[in-house]
Amino acid sequence: MSVAESMDKLIDDEMLVSQFQAGRQNAFDELMKRYKSKIFSYLLRSVRNYEDAEDITIEVFFKAYRALENWQPKAKFSTWLYKIAANLAIDYHRAKARHPVYALEDMEIPEANLVATDQYSNPVKEVEEQELGRIIREAVDQLSPKQKSVFILNRYEGLQLKEVAETLGMAEGTVKIHLHRAMKRLQTLLQPLWENNEI
Amino acid sequence: MPRCNKSEGHAIDYASKLLSTAEAEAFERHLKRCSDCNKAVESFTTLLNLTDMAEKEVLLPEVALQDIEMNVYKRLAATQEVSVLSRLWSYLTNFAFLFQWQRIAAAGTAVIVLITTAVLVSELRQPKVELQLSDSQSADARIEQYLQQDIQRNLDDAMITRHLRNDAWETDSRLQRVKEQVEGTNWVKFANALTDTNITQAAAKGY
Repeated sequence: MSVAESMDKLIDDEMLVSQFQAGRQNAFDELMKRYKSKIFSYLLRSVRNYEDAEDITIEVFFKAYRALENWQPKAKFSTWLYKIAANLAIDYHRAKARHPVYALEDMEIPEANLVATDQYSNPVKEVEEQELGRIIREAVDQLSPKQKSVFILNRYEGLQLKEVAETLGMAEGTVKIHLHRAMKRLQTLLQPLWENNEI
Repeated sequence: MPRCNKSEGHAIDYASKLLSTAEAEAFERHLKRCSDCNKAVESFTTLLNLTDMAEKEVLLPEVALQDIEMNVYKRLAATQEVSVLSRLWSYLTNFAFLFQWQRIAAAGTAVIVLITTAVLVSELRQPKVELQLSDSQSADARIEQYLQQDIQRNLDDAMITRHLRNDAWETDSRLQRVKEQVEGTNWVKFANALTDTNITQAAAKGY
């Protein structure tokens, strides 16, 4: 890591936003570099489709760019960015519910993932693991939209309950209730797997 | 069925590492003498390990990630183009509102000015388009660059339409689009001078 890169890491998001508001446009590049993977992965988990997740990620940063000029640091920049992403994901799910598209398989597995990566790999085990992963992801998809959002933001994106509450516009206690219900629902759906020694 | 009233809520919070240090220590003391809670913690820990494992397999396509910045700036450039047009429309409507009785005269004058400019400008010099992106390039520069690329594309289309399909109406339509795009940029003079005839000249010069 170069000295310049190390220095960049030391600049916090809010400072970059201030620089952007003061006219240093490159600060937005740095913010995108920091958050594009996180926002993309969050949206991919939410919408389960690469192309849609990419389009919504672009929309998130597009909206952020246009709103950043007047942004006030009431919450962390990252929380605000996740809030934009969460709202767009909700819009996406609403639109999809109104106009359902029946695809054979939304989450396509890239062909490269199906190729054995070394001579000691076990294809049968890999297929079993992929199948297990699919079952678990389907279980997560069966959660209600709020339960799923809370679970993904807290568990996979590493947001604290307070940050999840700010992102989704809920009270912290409500977030905890949704998280508990999500865990209990997943337990009901998946417990047979380990009780029947299928994993 | 679990009998302990702590078994679900506390077990979930403990397995998810949501308890404070003091709460976690208190619950660990409780765990030493409560089999219900032990089972619940074990069950929720297994569950979280499984969901973590499943989501680790969600791979992000590197190519898409590389293109995110470029696509954001392209989107911004496209919107800037629309906003320039809407601003122009707003000016025109305000102008028309203030001078209702002069509207036709103003429009006529504008058309005459455009035609005169087109006739007077004989040498067309097309601004060079910087195609290379660098890390130090500002967002404004990138938006401008994508806008220029779009203008360039429309010009190319106009030339192709004129010379390959010989479609004058479509060519005019493309040229009109270029003129609308360039409002507020340093391409205005160049675009206003564009006519079907000097498109041919421009093509001959290799623009």
